[in-house]
Amino acid sequence: DRAPGGPTAHIHSGILQVTSRDFDDLGYVEKTDFLLREWVTLIHSPSGIREPTKAFGTFVQHLNMHGFLKTDDVITRFFRISTRLCVDMCCQALTEQSNSPTVVRTKCYQTLDAYVKLIALLVKHSGDTANSGTKINLLNKVLGIVAGVLLHDQDAHTLEFQQLPYQRMFIMLFLELNAPEPILETINFQVLTAFCHTLHILSPSKAPGFSYAWLEIVSHRVFLGRMLALTPQQKGWGMYSQLLMDLFKFLAPFLRNAELAKPVTLLYKGTLRLLLVLLHDFPEFLCDYHYGFCDVIPPNCIQMRNLILSAFPRNMRLPDPFTPNLKVDMLPEIAHAPRVLTNFSSMIQPPNFKKDLDSYLKARAPVTFLSELRGNVQISNEPGMAYNIPLMNALVLYVGTQAINYIRSKSHTPNMTTIAHSAHMDIFQNLAVDLDTEGRYLFLNAIANQLRYPNSHTHYFSCTLLYLFAEANSEAIQEQITRVLLERLIVNRPHPWGLLITFIELIKNPTYKFWLHEFVHCAPEIEKLFESVARSCMVQKQV
Amino acid sequence: GVAPLGPVPLQKEHQRQFQMLDAAFYHLPLPSDSEKLRSYLARTPCPSPPYYPQVPLPDTDSLEFYQRLGNETLFFIFYYMEGTKAQYLAAKALKKQSWRFHTKLMHWYQRHEEPRVINDEYEQGSYIFFDFDNWIQRRREGFTFEYKYLEDRDLN
Repeated sequence: DRAPGGPTAHIHSGILQVTSRDFDDLGYVEKTDFLLREWVTLIHSPSGIREPTKAFGTFVQHLNMHGFLKTDDVITRFFRISTRLCVDMCCQALTEQSNSPTVVRTKCYQTLDAYVKLIALLVKHSGDTANSGTKINLLNKVLGIVAGVLLHDQDAHTLEFQQLPYQRMFIMLFLELNAPEPILETINFQVLTAFCHTLHILSPSKAPGFSYAWLEIVSHRVFLGRMLALTPQQKGWGMYSQLLMDLFKFLAPFLRNAELAKPVTLLYKGTLRLLLVLLHDFPEFLCDYHYGFCDVIPPNCIQMRNLILSAFPRNMRLPDPFTPNLKVDMLPEIAHAPRVLTNFSSMIQPPNFKKDLDSYLKARAPVTFLSELRGNVQISNEPGMAYNIPLMNALVLYVGTQAINYIRSKSHTPNMTTIAHSAHMDIFQNLAVDLDTEGRYLFLNAIANQLRYPNSHTHYFSCTLLYLFAEANSEAIQEQITRVLLERLIVNRPHPWGLLITFIELIKNPTYKFWLHEFVHCAPEIEKLFESVARSCMVQKQV
Repeated sequence: GVAPLGPVPLQKEHQRQFQMLDAAFYHLPLPSDSEKLRSYLARTPCPSPPYYPQVPLPDTDSLEFYQRLGNETLFFIFYYMEGTKAQYLAAKALKKQSWRFHTKLMHWYQRHEEPRVINDEYEQGSYIFFDFDNWIQRRREGFTFEYKYLEDRDLN
């Protein structure tokens, strides 16, 4: 890990202070405990509820009297011990069987909420009004301490670890700091950044015992609203996409094996719900980051990926794919490239390979580039893990976007004729012919990931897939193309528009002789399936 | 489920992650964990038969809906669901029915008849008010409603 700098420095220093082994003398812990209890009583008293700022003033005087605010170190120590004390109190309450769950919960909430209120007030009132740096540094430090205590607690208690105190501290502090107050509004973006960094540090891969609580926070309506809707210029989108990537990466190894134990199923369902909310309320967000998400979602998670690929900008009206004689070429939208907020060309590694690729695209030579292509994307001989999937995805999208530019540079528009006979199509045809079943599956998936709403990528890759089908030198390739399209359509909705368009064209247009292929008739259930798909697409079966 | 690329055994790290997730599965977050503390109506989730409504009717969070509720329901929401959107909507609905909130006595008042005295500082007359201690509507004759105790913020 590189040494962190910038705003995260304080979070990391907070984490380190938790794990460092400096011994706190018992007197100090006792004093902190005493003061914390005093604060809990004070803030929950009628006068504290009415005028929390006044109660805070009184309490700060007490902290000062006991020397708790003397130096940064002392303050840090106060937070570290207080966090620990609050967590211990909750864990003890949760293990007590005598009380009803509601009573236990209420007891925990009262302590945690009081502590959160104290943190929020300290952050708000630290430094002078104009100095937001002090406030943000303190916030980062405290978040770091809570994160540090969490990680430490998880290692120490492993299976006994409790998510509750941390979840409540984070979400309540988030709500406190997003209240409609002028001081807080000026620092809002830094507050969001601080929380996102902290949640990234506590991502499910690093804190699996915290996963459910983590997802609760990340999908909390206020958190979602702040990150994706209320922050101007979509400045929260990048950070939020990072958190989603953390979630997908954690789920990937469990999902790819399709053996879903109950705990994984629950987290998976939660993820689908979150994606549905995003698809409904923030489709542009899913559009912009679809590439990065598809890179980490395992190929077999069809519906999860369909949710992302079905997103389209809200101001767009998609023509019904089942319209007879729909002319995709005539749609004005297919002239526009979609936004892709992942730097995919930099993912074509190593640099030498990228250089050779560029020179081949330019000169359509040497032919050895094509014969060596497979070796560049294949990383092992182990079945199921033979290929570098992110590289495959980057290669496909990069070559495709270069092809679109190339065709345009010659004053043409991409269609079934103009995409043929070029360096770009050489590469695609070579991949289709030269790769084994696994490689070809991943290659075709990389193409199908671009079949979305009407845009230049969708149109180009739709033509490419149909061209590869038409020009295939073996039934195996055609069967696999059909498989990739069909398996994305036989799952429940939603289905991406471009995917439907491509599949309908394939079964409708007689040039593809779709119904004459053997794989269509290989098994009665498959044949029935095709017929029912054809019926739902309102296509006449042509024999 | 389908694994087109075939299953791959979980690495040690993933096995450890699964164990932790599995343990967390037995103490999942509750809805109340990320909500403000409810002093009166704490959530107590329990299984209810499927033929009972599982979700509230649509549009029950609109002012129109609150205006259709009885007074007593609105008073209940006002006193037992403090600091929620429901309380806000209940207060709004009560105001629409000419109930006024007295910030010192914490009671809702409604004129029983035209006040006998009205000046810049107060009005005086016969009022109906809701007594939350005994949970009943009462009449108060010759009551002086000082305007400094009138809650008159615009609820938007």
